[in-house]
Amino acid sequence: MLPTGIQFSTYTGEAGILKTNRARIGVLLIVILLLVAPLMSGPYLLGIGTQMFITLIAVYGLHVTVGMAGQINIAQSAFVGVGAFAAAKLSSYGLPFWVVLPLAAVITGLVSVLFALPAARVKGFYLALTTLAAQVLFPIVILGLPQDWLGGLVGLPVEPLKIAGYSMGSPKHFYYFTLALVLLATYAAYNLHRSRLGRALKAVRDNDVAAEVMGVPVLRYKITAFFTGSLFAGVAGACTAWFLQFVTIESFTLFASVWYLGMLIVGGLHSPVGAILGVLFITFLQEGLHEVATLVMRSQSHAVGGAVFATTNIVLGACILLALIFEPRGLAHRWSVLRTAYQLWPFPRQ
Amino acid sequence: MSAIAVDSDLVLEARDLHLRFGNVEALKQVSIRVRPGEIHAIIGPNGAGKSSLLNCLSGFYRPQTGSVRFMGGDITRLAPNRRAAVGMGRTFQGIQTYPSMTARENILTGFHNCMRTGMLDALLYWGRVRREEEAFAAKAEEIIEFLELEELRHTVVGDLSYGLRKRVDLGRAIALDPKVLIMDEPMAGMNPEEKGDLARYILDIRDARGIPVVLVEHDMEVVMDISDTVTVIDFGRVIAVGTPAEVRRDPAVIAAYLGKE
Repeated sequence: MLPTGIQFSTYTGEAGILKTNRARIGVLLIVILLLVAPLMSGPYLLGIGTQMFITLIAVYGLHVTVGMAGQINIAQSAFVGVGAFAAAKLSSYGLPFWVVLPLAAVITGLVSVLFALPAARVKGFYLALTTLAAQVLFPIVILGLPQDWLGGLVGLPVEPLKIAGYSMGSPKHFYYFTLALVLLATYAAYNLHRSRLGRALKAVRDNDVAAEVMGVPVLRYKITAFFTGSLFAGVAGACTAWFLQFVTIESFTLFASVWYLGMLIVGGLHSPVGAILGVLFITFLQEGLHEVATLVMRSQSHAVGGAVFATTNIVLGACILLALIFEPRGLAHRWSVLRTAYQLWPFPRQ
Repeated sequence: MSAIAVDSDLVLEARDLHLRFGNVEALKQVSIRVRPGEIHAIIGPNGAGKSSLLNCLSGFYRPQTGSVRFMGGDITRLAPNRRAAVGMGRTFQGIQTYPSMTARENILTGFHNCMRTGMLDALLYWGRVRREEEAFAAKAEEIIEFLELEELRHTVVGDLSYGLRKRVDLGRAIALDPKVLIMDEPMAGMNPEEKGDLARYILDIRDARGIPVVLVEHDMEVVMDISDTVTVIDFGRVIAVGTPAEVRRDPAVIAAYLGKE
């Protein structure tokens, strides 16, 4: 719903992501804020920011597979891992980042297709189980391969990211690198929604029988959903590799996969805004609780602080439950209700 | 006119379809011939085999014997989504739209096979995607205008009333640019006003776009008013074919509907 008096003379204008000047200014301000943030924050906050950007890219991918196409995927962390190991291995050959990044994404996409094939036959719970297989197989395969291939139990060291000879290894530089990628990923995620592919994915989710008769090859788009979602995962994985400068299977657990899903559920499955809000909310909650726990530990007893640490997962789990019970459409829906009310003001909202 | 000339003139033809589920014979030697520009109704009592016939035409069921020919080619073994690509449009019984998308997006999905942009295009949304979206949005608007959905083009279809959703379903089928339109009980569940509107759209589709329409329908009033040819099925057999007036007088049809004296 748009404020009164805003009209478009072209369909392209109508399909714009930011339709009003106010929205453009708002986004511009956010970007400026993100650009200047490193100037007044320490390496710890920068690290959290970078981590958040990487997580958001992975959750965008999940939003494509689960939110848009309705294909449940609880192995996103494994796919991020595939991207990380691919990037680590590729950059060890001395390839430049602009080769490593897209190649890692495509490799991840291709691996995901392997696990997407069962989606042709199974839905819902059963599909969840087949993707779970991907998550379980991931460490087994890495450990099973000869150690000089992917590092096995030890892991692989990763050279700091270099762009055109300049090292991007410092927290500040790498923050800017991931910021650029997350802006690109956000643009891509929004683009999907207004394209032929996005409509086909949503058609498969909404009604696969009708989609088939209306000329949308359902099987092909289920596989494409996994492939596209894993492209994002691959990019997130490559960033993780450069960020940690070391990849091991420990970083890509089922636990992380579930958290990616949790963020998407709390934020809202059906729009990129949901991914953003979910990642923001969960990260702030997690970091906030950790902060409190550390403070308690320092001032009072270790036992109480430890207990607060332990509650983190319980609180996060409760958030997912509450979101599922009270607002299955997620924070994104609350956001759109709020926005509509603001745009209609002073008239009552519909 | 010789019989062969008439045959090559047909848009859609089913020849001697035989369909069996276990011991149940759903269709026995059913043939149907749809000529260009006609509205062809398929009627019959409940369980007569109308839906089975329709599903054979659109590819969900495969008849044990017999063939389906479309625009001169044999499509008996073609998958449903391939039939859509060669020009077979269809609307559904009940509601089968995409509820989370807007009316215009629903119609745009109908253009899926005409559009060309792929995954990389979708992610980057560069010039050629913009041009394609622009062109097809304009085409979708033509359909929206035709179906008088202008006010609702950006309304999420899940929020629309039953009759309006059926109209969006019809719009999506028109977007396939079909050579024939197959409609499964389009009037079911509609109020008289909506029925009138829909009948008008069906006539317009035939007249303005030259698309022949095959419809399965229970509402006799509508069938008798708008169709050119009526095929009556009972117990999996065709018992009469003709104009509405002819069929209405046919003793076999009267017996099927009202029972024998």
